[in-house]
Amino acid sequence: MMMSGFYVDYVLGALPSGSGTLMLTVLLTPAAAAAFVAVTRRKRLAEAATLLSALLVAMQVAGLVAGVIAGTRLSAFGDFLSLDALGALVMIPIAGVGFVAALYSINYMGRQYERGIVDDRHIIRYYAGFNVFVLTMMVVPLANNTGLMWVAIEATTLVSVLLIMLYTTEGAIEAAWKYLIVATVGLSLALFGIVLFSYAYSTASPSAAGSAMNWTGMDADAKMLDPAIVKVAFVFVLVGLGTKAGIAPMHTWLPDAHGEAPSPVSALLSGVLLNCAIYGVLRFNIIASGALGPSFPSELMIGLGLLSMGIAAASVCFAKDMKRMLAYSSVEHMGIISLAVGFGGFVGLFAALFHIINHAIAKPLMFFASGTVSQRFGTKTMSEIRGIIKVMPITGALLLVGGLAIVGMPPFNVFVSEFLALASGFAGGQVLAASAMILLLVLVFAGFIRQLVPMVFGRPESGKSAQLEGTERKDDMGALAILPMVILAALVVILGFYMPQPLQTLIREAVRVVQGAPSS
Amino acid sequence: MTTLLTDLITLSAAGLLVATFGVVVRRSFTGWVSAYRYQSVVLAASTAVVGYSTGFWDIYAAAVLTFVVKAEVIPRLLVRVTLGVEGDLKMEANPYVSIRLSVLISALLVALSYGLVGQLLASAKLDVLAQAYLPVSVSLFFIGLFAMVSRRTALNQVVGLLIIENGLFLFTTALTHGVSLIIEVGILADALVGVVISAILLTRMSQTFDTMDTGSLEKLKDD
Repeated sequence: MMMSGFYVDYVLGALPSGSGTLMLTVLLTPAAAAAFVAVTRRKRLAEAATLLSALLVAMQVAGLVAGVIAGTRLSAFGDFLSLDALGALVMIPIAGVGFVAALYSINYMGRQYERGIVDDRHIIRYYAGFNVFVLTMMVVPLANNTGLMWVAIEATTLVSVLLIMLYTTEGAIEAAWKYLIVATVGLSLALFGIVLFSYAYSTASPSAAGSAMNWTGMDADAKMLDPAIVKVAFVFVLVGLGTKAGIAPMHTWLPDAHGEAPSPVSALLSGVLLNCAIYGVLRFNIIASGALGPSFPSELMIGLGLLSMGIAAASVCFAKDMKRMLAYSSVEHMGIISLAVGFGGFVGLFAALFHIINHAIAKPLMFFASGTVSQRFGTKTMSEIRGIIKVMPITGALLLVGGLAIVGMPPFNVFVSEFLALASGFAGGQVLAASAMILLLVLVFAGFIRQLVPMVFGRPESGKSAQLEGTERKDDMGALAILPMVILAALVVILGFYMPQPLQTLIREAVRVVQGAPSS
Repeated sequence: MTTLLTDLITLSAAGLLVATFGVVVRRSFTGWVSAYRYQSVVLAASTAVVGYSTGFWDIYAAAVLTFVVKAEVIPRLLVRVTLGVEGDLKMEANPYVSIRLSVLISALLVALSYGLVGQLLASAKLDVLAQAYLPVSVSLFFIGLFAMVSRRTALNQVVGLLIIENGLFLFTTALTHGVSLIIEVGILADALVGVVISAILLTRMSQTFDTMDTGSLEKLKDD
C-alpha cells in the first residue's frame, strides 16, 4: 500500500499539470464561488461568479481527464482522493452540464426575477446552492473512501432539497419533502451496505484496518471477501443508491422533484446527480462481481433495469406535465444503463458508460427547452402547448432534436449506446431481456412522440397557445437561453456520428476498471 | 472481556431499545424529542463502552460528539424551530396505526431484527460488541421506519429519520469499531444539516398548507 502510494505520488510529481493540486482546486473553486455569492449578495456578481466558477471547473476537469487518459490513476493526500477512468467519466457530465446550466440559469432565473416569481434573496440562495450542489457532486467521484462518498451523496440530497423548494409553492414543498424523506431513508440503507462491505474487507485482510473503507483496496482484494456478507451488502447498496439513482421501484420521489425544481436544477438533477449514484452502484458492482462471480449482481441489475423501463414506459404514456414526462424518461434511461451493466461484457459495459454521457447531454437539452417553452406559454401542461415551432422556431427545432434523440432515434447519440446495449444483450444470450427492452423502447417512443409532435407542430386551438399565435411575434427568449441548448444539440448530433478519440480511450479504460482490472 | 463489561454492553443495548419504545408510545412532539434525547445519551454511552473495550481514542471522541450533537444541539434545535407551530399541529392525534398496535408491531420488529442478523450474518464471526449491538441497531432502523410510515405529522417523520440515523451510527460503530473519525463526523454533520433543512421545510409547510399532516401532501400526481 505505502509503496504504491509512493509510486503514484512520484508519477504525479512528474506530471506537468500537477494533478494532485487540480484535484483539490476543482473542489475549492465552487466552494469559493458559493462563499463569494453568499458574501457579496448581488445578482449580477452571483451570476458572473457562478459562470466563471463553472468555466474554471470545466477546464480543471479537462486537465484531470487528460491526466487519467495518459494512463495513471491520480491520487492525492495519501490516497484520500483518487481518480481513475471511471471517476473521470462521471466527472465530465458534472463539469459539462454544470457549465451549460450556469449559462442557462442567467436567462431563466433572470426572467423569473423580472416576473416577480423570485426576489433577490431567492436569487442569492439559488446561486449559492447551485455552487454547493456542484461541489458536493464533484466529491463523489474523487473520494476514495466509500464513507466519504456516502457523506457527499447525502450532502447532494440536502442541497438539492433547498434548490427544489426555492419557489415555495405547494407543489415544490411537497416534492422537496418527499425527496428528503425517501432519499434519506434510501441512503441509510446504502450506508448499511457500505459498512458491511468494509466489514467484509477488514475481516478478510486485517492489515487494511486504516483504509478498510477505500475503493482501491476493496477492488484489489474483492475475491477474498466473504460471499455471504457481500451478497447482503450489495443488495443494500443497490436498493439504497438505486433510490438516489431513480431506479424503479425506488424512483417515487423523482418525477415530483424533477418536475417542481427550477429547470436548470432539473437538468442537473437528471443529467448529473443520477449518474453520481449510478457511479456508486457501478463501483460496488465491481467488488460484488469479484467476490460472488458476475451472475448474481448482473441478474439483479437486469431485473431492476427492466422494471425501471417498464414503469417508466407506462408513466410516459400517461404523463400530462411536460417536465414529469421528462423525469419518467430519466427513470427509463437509468433502467437502460442498469440493463446494459447487467448484460455485461465489453460491449455492454461500453454501452452503459457511453449511455451515461449521452443521457447527460440529451436530457439537460430537453429540460432547458421545456423550461423556455413553459416560460413562454405559461404552463407545463402538454395539452395546452401547441405550435411551438411557430412561436419560437429555434427552441422548437432544438426541442424536436432533443426529443428524437432521447427516444433513441438514429442518427443521434442515444441511439448508438442503446443499440450497443441491445447488441450486447443478444450476444450475451439474454434474448428474453433484450427483446423486452426493444418492446419497452418502442412503447416509450410511441408515448413520447405522441406528445412531442403536437406540441411542436400542432395548431393552437384555444387558450394561451392561440393568443400567442395571434400576436405573431416570434421570440426565442434571448440568445443566452438558446446558446446552452445549441451546444448540447450539437453534441447530440456529433456524438451520433463520430466519437472523439480521447472519449473512446477514456470509456475503454473505464470499462477495464468496471471489469475489475487492477488499478495502476 | 470482563463480566462487568459484558453487563455494560447488554445494559446499554437494552437501554437503547427501551428509549426507542419511548418514541412509539408517545403522542406529543415534546414527548418524542425527550425520548430521542434519552436514546442519544444511551447511544453516546454505548459508543464510549465500545471505545473502552477496543481502546481506540477516536471512538471516545465520537461518543463526545454524539452526546453534544444528538443529545443537546438537535433536540434544542427541534424544540426551538417548532415554537411558532401551534400545539395541535404537533400532536399525533390520529395516526394510521393505533398506539397500542404500534407497540405490538415494534416488538415484532425487534424479534425480526434478531432473527435477521442471526440469519444473514451467520457465517460472519461476530465479536461480543457486534453480537450485542447489531440486532439493536437493525431494530432502531425498522422502528424508525415504522414510526415514519404509521404516523401522519411531518414532525414525527423527522424524529423517525433521526432514530434511523441513530441505528446507522450504532451499526457502524459496532461492526467496524469506528473506522474513521472523519467519516463519523461527516455523518453527524449530515444529520445536523438534515435537521436544519427539515426544520426550514416544516416551517414552510405549516405556513403554506396550514397543517403538518403529510396525508395532505397529495397534489403531485399523474392523472
